[in-house]
Amino acid sequence: MEGYLIHFTILIAIYSLLTLSLQLSIGFAGLLNLGHIAFYAIGGYSSSLLSLQGMDFLSSILIAGILSSFFACCLSFPTNKLKGDYFAVATMGFSFVVYEISLNWVSLTKGPMGLVGIPRPDILGFVLNQNIHFLFLCLFFLIFSYLSLSLIVRSPFGRVVQSIRDDELAAKILGKNTNKVKRIVLSVSAFFAGIAGGLYAHYINYIDPDSFTVMELIPVLCIVIIGGLGSLKGTLIATFVLVLLPEPLRFIGFSSDVIGPARQIIYAVLLICILIYRPKGLYGRFDLK
Amino acid sequence: MYFLFFLFEGLEFSFWVSALVTLVFSVLVGLSMNNLIYKQLRVRGANKVILLIASFALLIMFESVILIFFGADVKVIEFLKIEKGFQFLGAVITPLQIFIILSSIVLFFLFFSFMKKTKLGKAMRAVSDNPEVAQIVGISPEKIYLWSFLVGSLIAGFAAIFISLEQNLRPMIGTEIMVKSFAAAIIGGIGSVPGAILGSLLLGFSENYGIWFIDSGYKDAIGFGILLVFLIFRPRGILGLKKGLGE
Repeated sequence: MEGYLIHFTILIAIYSLLTLSLQLSIGFAGLLNLGHIAFYAIGGYSSSLLSLQGMDFLSSILIAGILSSFFACCLSFPTNKLKGDYFAVATMGFSFVVYEISLNWVSLTKGPMGLVGIPRPDILGFVLNQNIHFLFLCLFFLIFSYLSLSLIVRSPFGRVVQSIRDDELAAKILGKNTNKVKRIVLSVSAFFAGIAGGLYAHYINYIDPDSFTVMELIPVLCIVIIGGLGSLKGTLIATFVLVLLPEPLRFIGFSSDVIGPARQIIYAVLLICILIYRPKGLYGRFDLK
Repeated sequence: MYFLFFLFEGLEFSFWVSALVTLVFSVLVGLSMNNLIYKQLRVRGANKVILLIASFALLIMFESVILIFFGADVKVIEFLKIEKGFQFLGAVITPLQIFIILSSIVLFFLFFSFMKKTKLGKAMRAVSDNPEVAQIVGISPEKIYLWSFLVGSLIAGFAAIFISLEQNLRPMIGTEIMVKSFAAAIIGGIGSVPGAILGSLLLGFSENYGIWFIDSGYKDAIGFGILLVFLIFRPRGILGLKKGLGE
């Protein structure tokens, strides 16, 4: 039971990293980024490939984050002009492209077989073999990213970011380079998503393209919207609740074939209900635009 | 599509009966989705983005339901046996494919004249342009939304029948087709029926010629590459009238 709890907390921590970073782009900048899973995938793959080549954990996970944000920066050039639903579909298309590349670039990613034997993190000679140690590592990353995200949000830069969400034209009139700000926001959020992907890969020790399909986006999006746009605290709480929510299914004794889709159905229904009845979410201060 | 499979292979109805029931079923689902979900959202003042997220969630929900009831394996509808194709301009084409192409053309002309000529089609375009002004001149947007869901689901039902004859069924096929048709609509230009056809043709050709040069697994990636190029250089698409950048 204790092992299960620890496993669970690790998953929640990794998920929180992902949802917090998505919150930055959806909740604060108003960029409906449906390609977030792609950055998660890029982080997971690059971190595991680097450490399989023998690089140490800290630098490989940092490089993974930087690579993710580099791709986000590239993606933001064509998509910066787009608004709302167009931006959403273009970024979703990006995640399809990343999925296909991970599936088909067999010489690099081993295709559908996935990468096996990703080493556990090794920090200055101290190998984190036990899950409890890994938990502390994840919590460290979580606290670090939470603090830095809340610093970003409160800083003058964060004000500009939020002004883009509220009224991009007005921000432009005040002389803010909104394209540049959006690019930075997308890169920063992709950085944390990449780190989350890296942590996930090092924890599970195995990744394949199916860990990063578009389907995985639904729970993440659901958490961000239920937590409330523009609220980091709400996102944390929603992550905790929503990752816990489908767990009873496991104990009722459904087969694992049913649990996966049933989880998706729960999240999808929840998402539709919250959109109908409380589009602001739990702690949200803003409506989706 | 799965409904067709269920009726045809599971209950062993005749093909034409199952096709008809499938069409009715898809229209009913479309209308009930409109009334149960989209209407509720619109009444509460939801905007396009919320509708988009809701439809994405619905899509995933349906796919998951299909996954539970039908399993993840590939399904085949065996109505027409695969026949040897004709040679046509150096290409091989099966009778089934000719049937699909001809019926699509007929459907296209029906739809095109429906949007251009009939009162309802004109009203639809008016609502798409500006719901408030349409309301002022006495068109009820809610009624129009209902009709457009009806027509849209009907055409989608036809497409589903054609595709399930030509290709195998997988639970995830919905997402792929949805994203692809959205890409084709953007490439062709939102709000233009001929544009949608041009966009689909361009997308289909480039995806299938592209795999002469790179691996066939990258088919969808090519499609999105083209979409990105269009988004950068011509965001309103080939024939789009409205600028594709607005909300």
